[in-house]
Amino acid sequence: MKTRILGVAALLAVIAAALFGLYGVPADLNQGDAQRIMYPHVASAWLAYLSFGVTALAGIGWLIRRDLRFDAVAVASAEIGVLFTALAIWGGMMWARPVWGVFWQWEDPRLTTTALLLALYVGYLLLRRLSDDPARRATRAAVVGLVAAVDIPIVHFSVIWWRGLHQPPTFLSPDKILHPSAPLPFVLALVGMLGAFTLAWTWLLIRRYQLARAELAREDAVRGGLVRRASAAAARPGVAARPAAAARPGLPASDDGGTPQPKAPAEATQ
Amino acid sequence: MGVAIIAAVIGYLAFSEVGKALVYYLTPTELLAKGEAAFGETVRLGGLVKPGSKHGPDTNLWFTLTDGTTDIQVHTSVAPPALLKEGAGAVVEGRLGVNHGFEATQVVVKHDENYVAPTNGAVPSHVAQPGS
Repeated sequence: MKTRILGVAALLAVIAAALFGLYGVPADLNQGDAQRIMYPHVASAWLAYLSFGVTALAGIGWLIRRDLRFDAVAVASAEIGVLFTALAIWGGMMWARPVWGVFWQWEDPRLTTTALLLALYVGYLLLRRLSDDPARRATRAAVVGLVAAVDIPIVHFSVIWWRGLHQPPTFLSPDKILHPSAPLPFVLALVGMLGAFTLAWTWLLIRRYQLARAELAREDAVRGGLVRRASAAAARPGVAARPAAAARPGLPASDDGGTPQPKAPAEATQ
Repeated sequence: MGVAIIAAVIGYLAFSEVGKALVYYLTPTELLAKGEAAFGETVRLGGLVKPGSKHGPDTNLWFTLTDGTTDIQVHTSVAPPALLKEGAGAVVEGRLGVNHGFEATQVVVKHDENYVAPTNGAVPSHVAQPGS
């Protein structure tokens, strides 16, 4: 219930920030309305950093504590991070075409390292599908998540370290936190969008975490059922193993494959 | 340990020669400093459009790119972005000819991170101005 309130609040905040960015502030003198893309673009990029940072920290948590809840946070955050990285790239392209004149420039360090970031975490998600052992999967994912996180500061500082087409940060730059190079209304629109997007991110993370826990529980139950079925078949070789629900007490209904999973297990993890 | 490796990789990329080799464009001074090698090779050249240098129609456009010390005249027959204007940044891709003119096959506008709210009377550069 609390999560639902957060979701509604996040939705309203994103709508409010979008309306403010579109109608509440003037557009940049030189770029015109295209500059308004900056607000969701920067917010998406920030959430990409945040997501993959959380994935890396959760990976460390798993490696130290060996608690699969950390891994559930890691996968939840990585998946949302891929979404927002793609959004940042797409929004950036929509902004670049009218302003720079091109959608994309491969040799630009910011663009290239961001494309790499997307590829790294799509790879991370694929890697997670390679093992059906939750502990092995979590360990592999934690290591890859940590190594891939090296790209986060590289993406952020690429515009400062290397000469490129992409402009340096307006706002999230070390020397500009107190003196952003934009008028106050622009900064407010950007901060509002950052806040609204972060709220939406929090809601998505909680939901995806609950789903990850439910997936783990289901995986566990299926494995338990298979083991029981195998041992039952071994004990009574003459009787064909039947997937009777009665033989697997404590299983959620969805493990029989037919009925959709009710909400109960996801809520129960809270 | 892991953190140390990560820090080392970042430091290496930031300060090593590998990092410096990642150059998206050359400045006019850097391009001419290559001497003979500067001619005929497809490169990107970046700089500011020198005020007063832009002339001709979009499909036969001349302008000068400068880094403050060296100027290179650029000609292009591809329509440039609407935001290409004098005093602002641009990156062009093409070749330097023997007459020291640069023939660009692509013109990209490089803007900075500063944004300005319009004031009364100011004409935004994305609005076509008479004579430009």
